Amino acid sequence: MKSENNQGEPRLRILILDDEPIVCRRLKPAFEKRGYEVETFNDSASALARLREAAFDIVITDLKMEGADGIEILTQAKKASADTRVIIITGFATLETARESYSKGAFDFVAKPFKLRDILECVKKIEDQRQATQ
Amino acid sequence: MYNVIKKLLTFPRRRKEVLPFTVLFKKFQDILENNNLILELMADMGDKLGGEYVFDRRYIEEAAEKVGDHVFKLISGLSILTQRKNVELFVAFERIRQAIQGELSGRHFLPSGNLVLPLGELSSEMSEQVGDKMAKLGDIHNRLALTTPDGFVITTQAFFEFMKQKGLLEKAEQAALHWDAGDDAAFEQVADAMQKSILSTPVPRHLSAQIFAQFDALAERMQRSQLALSIRSSGWGEGEDTSFAGQYASLLNASPDQLIDGYRQVVASAYSFKAWSYRLNKGYQEHETAMAVGCQVMVESAVSGVLHTYAPDTAEGAMVANALWGLCAPVVEGNRRTDTIIIDRTPPYVIRSSNVVEKPQRLVAAPGGGVAWEDNPVELHAVPSLSKEQLQELSQTAMRIERYYKRPQEIEWTFDSSGQLQILQTRALRFRKTHAAPKPQVLEAVRDAEIIFSDKGFVVQRGVGIGKIFMVESDADLKVFPYGAIMLVRYTSPRYSSIMHKARGIITDVGSPTGHMASLAREYRVPTIVDTEVATSLLQTGDEVTLDATQNIVYRGNISALDRFELTEDEVFEDFYEYRLLRRLLKHISPLNLLDAQNENFTPAACRTFHDITRYIHEKAVEELIHLSEKKGAQHLSAPKKLIADIPLGLMVIDAGGGTSCPPDARVVTPDQIVSLPLRDFLSGLNESGMWCTKPVDVDLGSFMASLTRTFPSSMASPKEIGRNLAVVLENYMNINMRLGYHFTIIDAYISDTINDNSIYFRFLGGVTEFIRRSRRAKFIAQVLTHFDFRVEVHGDLVIGRVKKLSRSRMTERIRILGGLVGYTRQLDTQMHSDKDVAMHVQQFLDVVHHVIGGV
Repeated sequence: MKSENNQGEPRLRILILDDEPIVCRRLKPAFEKRGYEVETFNDSASALARLREAAFDIVITDLKMEGADGIEILTQAKKASADTRVIIITGFATLETARESYSKGAFDFVAKPFKLRDILECVKKIEDQRQATQ
Repeated sequence: MYNVIKKLLTFPRRRKEVLPFTVLFKKFQDILENNNLILELMADMGDKLGGEYVFDRRYIEEAAEKVGDHVFKLISGLSILTQRKNVELFVAFERIRQAIQGELSGRHFLPSGNLVLPLGELSSEMSEQVGDKMAKLGDIHNRLALTTPDGFVITTQAFFEFMKQKGLLEKAEQAALHWDAGDDAAFEQVADAMQKSILSTPVPRHLSAQIFAQFDALAERMQRSQLALSIRSSGWGEGEDTSFAGQYASLLNASPDQLIDGYRQVVASAYSFKAWSYRLNKGYQEHETAMAVGCQVMVESAVSGVLHTYAPDTAEGAMVANALWGLCAPVVEGNRRTDTIIIDRTPPYVIRSSNVVEKPQRLVAAPGGGVAWEDNPVELHAVPSLSKEQLQELSQTAMRIERYYKRPQEIEWTFDSSGQLQILQTRALRFRKTHAAPKPQVLEAVRDAEIIFSDKGFVVQRGVGIGKIFMVESDADLKVFPYGAIMLVRYTSPRYSSIMHKARGIITDVGSPTGHMASLAREYRVPTIVDTEVATSLLQTGDEVTLDATQNIVYRGNISALDRFELTEDEVFEDFYEYRLLRRLLKHISPLNLLDAQNENFTPAACRTFHDITRYIHEKAVEELIHLSEKKGAQHLSAPKKLIADIPLGLMVIDAGGGTSCPPDARVVTPDQIVSLPLRDFLSGLNESGMWCTKPVDVDLGSFMASLTRTFPSSMASPKEIGRNLAVVLENYMNINMRLGYHFTIIDAYISDTINDNSIYFRFLGGVTEFIRRSRRAKFIAQVLTHFDFRVEVHGDLVIGRVKKLSRSRMTERIRILGGLVGYTRQLDTQMHSDKDVAMHVQQFLDVVHHVIGGV
């Protein structure tokens, strides 16, 4: 069950995966401040395990990691729940990787380093779309 | 002075090979381009420290490599331009690159010589090197400009050198295994043995020599030969995540001959059973132990205590101070009753309550060393130990410290016998989860708030600042800038560094997030938004606002919930390892030490950062180009063309590409054939100045024009050069060498739509009147240039002005003003009868500029 924020609207659940802990440590409080529920992971194996047991509205994942990479996470997240929106963040942004991400169903593709504001807006866009379709 | 003229007028070098001018000029442009790229990369990296960006370690590595590559290319470029090997520059480059590699690989310690460091060189980025406690006192002293007892620190590197002797470090690692085995008794024995070994191990001679050298330097700073010291622990992690308060030894009122033994005692205290087991209990690994030791002048304390800047358990929105007569130690140890004062966290820091207790005794420095209790005079027993004024000062200071660290603080302080407030220590206060204030949701807190403007301009430093707006329009305003206000200004300027420590926030209409002021705002962690365009039209002095430089919103009124949110955030981004790493790297990259090209230290060997190398090469490249164009030190330089103009300037124009619209072999050029943007504007400024100059010089237009062609005195130039002025031009560039009247002027200007490429370099020299009048004229020029944002250096009659990175239109205005200035000053020295004339001429010039060129 989704928890609710103080206005009674369901809070979006976000899973963040990046093998560099600083990314998770910066993103978590920024999203929590806006009332989202956030879980963070630094390795893809535990993130995948978590994706199998719980549904997330949004997955934000690094692209290049040991073990399953971002594309694999994207595929698995979509398999677990087709509604899940996936944002890929990467320091190796190329046209090719961007194209592959989009073709596999990524919602957005963000090059590192990025502004906190940009990723917050990206999530806000997803939230607005959700509200519009409900 | 002589050297400067010699430098200007001689050209001693011989070239091995003469290359086509276009090739050399292309190289020069490459250098400019690399130069800009480096400056941009540096600015970008600095930008990341503001908290607006999410970056990772990979970014830091890549950015450092990239900036290094460009600096390398820059040196190679200069080598081709000057056709020299520039070995010294490559050596400097390699030295800096190695230092950066060292930082990246985790070797924070400089290769040698930093076993002991003075307080003046410490900052929080150095906590690995000097321990958290002393690193923070470095901030207190060097960044917040507060007072803390002067002293030095024996670094963690010294600790490792000391502990490597007799295999002490390995022993410690071994001993920790006993702990893992759960054998307390065995562990205690090992701890005792460990302490004994440390106390009996000699301090390496080169270390003790450095310790005493720093002590001597300290004694000299204090102008006292007899100095008592407090010798205190400053270990890794101490005062950070976990409070090690009271775990380690400190020696109060120690004499200099106790320095070495005191050092060993403090180091040994890290291995007491109590401290060691505490550390291991907390999950610290043995290799995370390192003990730096701070040695500070012992303060003669009149009254001391501890202040918590936030005390939700005691009272919401309040600070709590505990105070006693005498030294601070009993308050820290908490074994005596103290005066307890509760104060508002916000200005004007109203005292909510004050509980004064009986204070029959105080701890003081004992005459023979150490400390002792003595009786207080009876009249002090029951009176408050702190005056209202002292509480006010203490509160202000405490909040400055809290704002800097963005966390509630526990501050140890003392007022010394002269009444000076001294900060002894500050550490972050941590609240147990159950006691922490509930996290306010930011959306709710601002739901009903009035937004004055949002999403304008760039966030330079994230954070929240609440206070009254104070608009700064002049230096006089800076002097009266009120503590705790939010500074509002039209343009960013590094001049504002003087009030950074007082400001709760900064908002500008115009400015770059990568400029010098931005770096300062980040250094001081002042929430800052620049380039809002609208701020000064929407805000005025006295408005109370909440500047949310995290969301980029300015709210009307005081929204304290936002502020509280910042203070209760789990982690402060500035404390992350990656931020500290980036900040440390930038210390090898960004600071500019080579400021003055005229200084004898302006050499490759003196380059300590990539910025220094960049600056040096830019200067040398410009110099080289001036030499080339002056001396035709290149092949195929297109035929010089004589400018046919109303004003007989005697100007020869060399078109190095796209600067004129006439055929390459043409020997004359008319003003309407000048394509070069800077030259066109310079000439138009000079033309207009002809009108102005009639007033101050009091000659008619005709005689003014005629005077331009006046011949030079033989002392200034050889007959061949009379009347021959030179301009090397490109579409966006001009390099002009002019002698008008008796003055020698060089202007090197590049103006385009790419703001970062734009620069004007102006150099003025000469004159035939007596020195004092020439100096007045130099003063006049300097004042005018300063008014138009030039960075100005004056050496006698030599004036150098530089302006960079303004928009094309503002650059254009300035080049026209230089045209005017060159005309105006042409024979001004004859008019400068008194110092008052300087101000009069400045005003007159500015009036005319305003009239002719408009709103600049």
